[in-house]
Amino acid sequence: MSASAVADKPQPAGDIAVDCSSLTKSYEGVPVLRGISARFMRGTVNVLAGENGAGKSTLFKIISGQVTPDSGHLALFGDDVRRFDARHAQGLGVSIIPQELAPIPDMKVWQNLMIGREKSGFGLLRRKQMIEEAVAMMEGVGLSVDPSLPMKRLNVATTQMIEILKATSRQAKIILMDEPTSSLSGREVEQLFRVIRRLQADGVCILYTSHRMEEIEAISDTVAIMRDGAIIRHAPTSTLTERAIIADMVGREITELFPDRQITESDKPVLEVSNLAVKGYKSLVSFTVKAGEILGLGGLIGAGRSEMLEAIYGMRRATGSLRLDGRDLPLGHMKESIKRGIAMVPEDRKISGILTSLSILDNITLPHLNSFVTPGGLLENGKRRAQALDVLKRTKVAYATLGQKVGHLSGGNQQKVALARWLVTGTPRLLILDEPTRGIDVGARSELYRLINDLAAQGVAVLLASSDMPELINLSHRVLVIREGAIMGELKKNELEQEAILRLAMGRSSNGKQ
Amino acid sequence: MASNSVTPAVANATEPKGMPSPRQLGRFALRYALVIILALFLVTLAVSNRSFLTFSNMNVILIQVAANALLATGATFVILTGGIDLSVGSIVGLSGVVGALFAQDDGVLTCTEAVILGIAAGTAIGAFNGALVAFARVPPFVATLGNMTVASGLAFVASDGQPISGLSDQFLALSGKVFGLSIPVAVMIVVVVLAWIILARTKFGMHIYAVGGNPQAARVAGVNLRTNRFAVYTISGFLAGIAGVILAARATAGIATNGTGYELNAIAAAVIGGISLAGGRGSIIGTVFGFLIIGVLDNGLNIINVSPFYQLIVKGLIIIGAVFVDSVMNRGDD
Repeated sequence: MSASAVADKPQPAGDIAVDCSSLTKSYEGVPVLRGISARFMRGTVNVLAGENGAGKSTLFKIISGQVTPDSGHLALFGDDVRRFDARHAQGLGVSIIPQELAPIPDMKVWQNLMIGREKSGFGLLRRKQMIEEAVAMMEGVGLSVDPSLPMKRLNVATTQMIEILKATSRQAKIILMDEPTSSLSGREVEQLFRVIRRLQADGVCILYTSHRMEEIEAISDTVAIMRDGAIIRHAPTSTLTERAIIADMVGREITELFPDRQITESDKPVLEVSNLAVKGYKSLVSFTVKAGEILGLGGLIGAGRSEMLEAIYGMRRATGSLRLDGRDLPLGHMKESIKRGIAMVPEDRKISGILTSLSILDNITLPHLNSFVTPGGLLENGKRRAQALDVLKRTKVAYATLGQKVGHLSGGNQQKVALARWLVTGTPRLLILDEPTRGIDVGARSELYRLINDLAAQGVAVLLASSDMPELINLSHRVLVIREGAIMGELKKNELEQEAILRLAMGRSSNGKQ
Repeated sequence: MASNSVTPAVANATEPKGMPSPRQLGRFALRYALVIILALFLVTLAVSNRSFLTFSNMNVILIQVAANALLATGATFVILTGGIDLSVGSIVGLSGVVGALFAQDDGVLTCTEAVILGIAAGTAIGAFNGALVAFARVPPFVATLGNMTVASGLAFVASDGQPISGLSDQFLALSGKVFGLSIPVAVMIVVVVLAWIILARTKFGMHIYAVGGNPQAARVAGVNLRTNRFAVYTISGFLAGIAGVILAARATAGIATNGTGYELNAIAAAVIGGISLAGGRGSIIGTVFGFLIIGVLDNGLNIINVSPFYQLIVKGLIIIGAVFVDSVMNRGDD
């Protein structure tokens, strides 16, 4: 049902940048793409919308030559692609910006920008010219960064912008962006859009994936909605509503993204933090989380929330004192924290949340192996499997077998596994969530929200750090706003508003006064 | 999210500029701890021992470090790409033997031809290393460890386990002087300067840093990982070949075991000089300091009559210290 005004209108063949017909791809017998047919024109911005696992990444990999389709055809600018090879695709002008950043941390900003496009004379680099060119590139999008800084000194958002600049300036005619805005803030998204509009005016065809609805409306000409490996609708953005897009993506209407808060919190404090000083920050932090309470931590990226959470979990050095369930909890002892019932789902699940090369079973039971050991010192695999199956069902993870590698799951399901592992031996006392839904699609998101809410209703104390405002506001019972490692203010449930949080996060008072 | 006009592009901006914080001072002290300790050692030596700080002794040190300087320069190229080359010590022996075999006093081959063949033998092993690492994707440690034994075996076969002596006068003259400068020292200076230009000022150099800094990013930027990796091992073998020929001339014989253990000195010089074993970080200037420090240390410990056995222990601890400092510095970046 790819009936759409854009696709059906007769177009001069030369204007078709990407022409897919009946592309299919399976991995180990599991179909990922089931016959993708779509055309994307020069000078247009096209959003691929779909839940994680819908096949967007695979389609990107085919277009960029990293993966060969099982059947079907791909034509770029009217020429059939016969050889799927990344270098070949690059030569044809296809440029891909991966979701994971790929900077060279020890090289300077200008070197990062100019690598692969060096200017030499008599065998020597023309450094001055290259630096000037790098500065010009950055100025073109309103970025002012000292070009001689090492890349590793930049924050995530600036790094992302540099990466995008790098990829787009490579004479690209087709640019694939995989969630380019997942770590950008409002102003930087604007900068990115400026880059995209300039590219569009130059006739570049842009394919873009995003989970942010407001961006889809702001930047795209067409939306291709993918579900279960097929494009089920491809239409001009102006003809679609946000509701319709979401409904098509998940195949059902999500009536409520956020569950009703069932506030059953007791007065019993679970975690008492007093005078916590995290290494690298000057402020002393004190607060309590009660049983059944979801305490949100708001703030801008880099405000020190992750560091604070890591300190509470025992991953990071800090001074001060912690009490869990009224008893002292030693700082810096992760093993003790786990034993006492603290569960942690860290910010970057691929780095510290899960082990992508291990199976689902191993990932889920890893923190609790002690409870599956026979007196002889062997693992009781039957019990392990039974318990894993149980939590997977409770957390609604979509998977094939327990032996499946977690790296092969979609992002949303990986995150569910990261959470599920803490539910194996009963519910935790304190659940620490750091950006739990970053890069996760709407469907998985709403299920995660429900799960978090249910856990709180069962009396689990939840610490939730999130940069996603709707999430923070709709899940939290109370929010502490953090800036530079210090608590700037506390907002009660009835005071939870986006502006109030932002004002505190940026160092103002919550009511707008200085 | 909100405008981040208040958030600077630079991370860790909380540290004030101007005055260095105690943490920064600590890092600075740690980074240069080795240099500081060694400087103190040198000053003590210079004050207490008249024969140390003399022009002729300095010249001796330079001649002694020349071979290691070539190996350390090769090691710098390799380590910057994130690799390692353990075969250079054996290549020194092989090249020396091959050079010596063809530089016999019988006049069948000219001295130039002998030198070229000796260096070619080293380059060939280097290229073999490079092919294994770049094309066959054998881990560098394993590939070069294997070739360390292969090269050593070849040298024993070629020399039949005997020193190859009876070398022509022209060949022996390689350890002499040119324009008042000892030839090994002159070669060292030329090689180091060229290496500096290549690494700091050419596209090839920039690509070497990129390959070691983040191979994936380099590949996406159009950098050919294979040719660059192949090239650095070949360069390392080539420089080890030169070192082998020079050492054979100095020893007046090609000896298969002439370079045994030299790979560790070369790697130590690079690491002491701040070339990160993780790849992508460091400069040839650091390596120069590295091999000079090792050379001066060897010389100084000899002058104050420290047993060579203890010297080994000291050198080993210094290498560990250098790697430790490197890892602490890296940790600080997170």
